Amino acid sequence: MGLNIVVLVKPVPDPKEPPKFKPDGTLDRLAMKLVMNPYDKYAVEAALQLREALGGTIVGVSMAPQHAVDALREALAMGVDEFLLLSDKRLAGSDTLATSYALSMALRKLWSRLGRVDLILCGMESSDSNTAHIGPQVAGWLELPSVSYVDKVLEVGEGYVKVKKLIEGGFVVLKVKLPAVLTIAGTSYVPRIPTLRDVLLARRKKVTVWSVDDAGIDPSKVGVLNSPTRVIRMWAAEIKRKGKIIAEADPDKLVDLFLEELKKDGITLR
Amino acid sequence: MSKIFVYAEVADGSVADCSLELVGRARELAGQHGFSVGALLVGYGVRGLTDELIQRGADEVHVVDDVALSSYNILLHARAVAEVVKAEAPDILLFPASTTGRELAPRVAVRLGTGITADCTAVEIGDYVDPATGRKYEKLLYQIRPTFGGTVMAMIVTPRHRPQIATVRPGVYPIPPRDGKRSGRVREWSVDLSGKDAECVEVLEVKKEKRKVDLKSARIIVSGGRGAGPEGFKLIRQLAEALGGEVGASRAAVDAGWISYDHQVGLTGQTVKPDVYIAVGISGAIQHIVGMKDSKIIIAINKDPEAPIFRVADYGIVGDLFVVLPKLTERLRRR
Ligand SMILES: Cc1cc2nc3c(=O)[nH]c(=O)nc-3n(C[C@H](O)[C@H](O)[C@H](O)COP(=O)(O)OP(=O)(O)OC[C@H]3O[C@@H](n4cnc5c(N)ncnc54)[C@H](O)[C@@H]3O)c2cc1C
Ligand SMILES: Nc1ncnc2c1ncn2[C@@H]1O[C@H](COP(=O)(O)O)[C@@H](O)[C@H]1O
Repeated sequence: MGLNIVVLVKPVPDPKEPPKFKPDGTLDRLAMKLVMNPYDKYAVEAALQLREALGGTIVGVSMAPQHAVDALREALAMGVDEFLLLSDKRLAGSDTLATSYALSMALRKLWSRLGRVDLILCGMESSDSNTAHIGPQVAGWLELPSVSYVDKVLEVGEGYVKVKKLIEGGFVVLKVKLPAVLTIAGTSYVPRIPTLRDVLLARRKKVTVWSVDDAGIDPSKVGVLNSPTRVIRMWAAEIKRKGKIIAEADPDKLVDLFLEELKKDGITLR
Repeated sequence: MSKIFVYAEVADGSVADCSLELVGRARELAGQHGFSVGALLVGYGVRGLTDELIQRGADEVHVVDDVALSSYNILLHARAVAEVVKAEAPDILLFPASTTGRELAPRVAVRLGTGITADCTAVEIGDYVDPATGRKYEKLLYQIRPTFGGTVMAMIVTPRHRPQIATVRPGVYPIPPRDGKRSGRVREWSVDLSGKDAECVEVLEVKKEKRKVDLKSARIIVSGGRGAGPEGFKLIRQLAEALGGEVGASRAAVDAGWISYDHQVGLTGQTVKPDVYIAVGISGAIQHIVGMKDSKIIIAINKDPEAPIFRVADYGIVGDLFVVLPKLTERLRRR
């Protein structure tokens, strides 16, 4: 029988590069290279392990500008079967309520095409927005149960999953009815690294692009002007740390240099 | 009068600290700007907690006490919260940015069709003029939060939709003292929680550990992560001993079983502020950083020069902990 799994993948500005700002203080997203959200690799890995154990298909879904396709190829190279890219100028600047609405409409349509969806997996948060909202909000629009911060899917049974969720002070094990939305924490799954062959194969996999109209989205509910929240100011976070990074191949010298720095700053460790 | 509501999370039979912090912050904002403070208490057998919320600063407590809420079911909890909020129409609704708050609040926002800001490190009240229309909004919630993994700060408002919802990071505001002289109103609600949602989520097991080691008073903490492994922890203990400090750990190290939960630092562990915090083989995930970022001096030892932990460190040692730690411990012992 197998599982039909949808993985939500967000293309994000490469977190290894410092964010770029326009002169007016807003983020210059076009100047930043897009990669797959690092947290989404855990969700993709979870999906791949479930497919390996139980069979089925994995469809990736993204809402992003057209040039995000390269970032999606990373997920395809890991093993996602095909992608649906929701891309439309009218979606630009959507906040989490609007984004989750748009994604949920695309998912509804994809759902009727696939006939059945068992699991919708998300990363636990995105590296650029860090909201962790989209998973539970998509579940809200689709009226499905959701579990955030899943450490591991323990069991898949007839119409349910058992999952281990991280909480303050430990874990909780939940039995959740399918279909369900899970957001996967970066704790237990180790994302695989695609081989060159995987990368080449990924180039031939199908990426379908949908506009707002294709997905049946009400344009008056999306985009920057129709989003309830509004970013009114952004600024670089002030880091009040000394940031003295010591790199040195010879370990004796390394420790010496470090202790010298401490001494210079008048710091004693005992 | 406009109202600020706070979601009162219940943990182990009492109101969670992170919610008390928010009641305190709401009280402050209410005093300065003329709001009243309401608390939302949702669960089963929770009526006994109303006094505490009032004594910490709530003017009224709205209670949904229902056997259907005896264990945590996100669908039913979201429904209960949304129904009371619809009826009471607060201006502002605050949730703690706990593992519960961060999944419940966005779901409530969808039910109410309003905006939400995640994981704020400050909430203030202020005015806003929409540059496009020139319309002025008074006494909005300024929602201030880090994004881009903490490298960028953003200020966000929700001008036209109500309530303005935000989750606020635990530990940023102090828990207000109890004031036994305060009085307030308690209002009981019954919400229809019947239907299929009840069967969608079942709690099979809760594994929570009680804390025996208190790292809060430690002056020096040497913490180990996934990079350390069981062998690395021996070296970490030796360094801690040489410095007269305590041993801490990342969640990854705790989950791997190399050290008990007592020692975990971070969002779901302890928040510590020692004079010196040494992070060994810890990458610097935000959930770890929030627990140790207020340490006076932060030292990181990691073999990956790109590890995010170096961004919050005063001193970063790029190297293999298995080589660096023995040498460092030896040098420090000799002094
Ligand atoms: C809801 C939630 C709550 C969480 N709560 C917490 C929390 O309270 N506390 C917490 O810590 N985490 C928490 N986490 C987990 C967090 O997201 C990270 O997964 C975790 O902090 C990673 O631990 P780590 O840095 O030890 O491991 P990793 O991220 O795997 O990092 C290991 C590091 O060790 C380095 N390393 C490896 N070998 C060596 C060597 N020989 N010498 C030197 N360096 C080496 C590597 O370069 C790497 O940087 C939480 C996650 C979620 C979703
Ligand atoms: N634009 C998007 N397209 C597809 N998935 C997304 C998008 N934004 C967020 N997600 C998913 O939701 C998770 C949480 O993202 P966020 O709410 O932005 O922190 C991500 O890890 C993705 O799985």
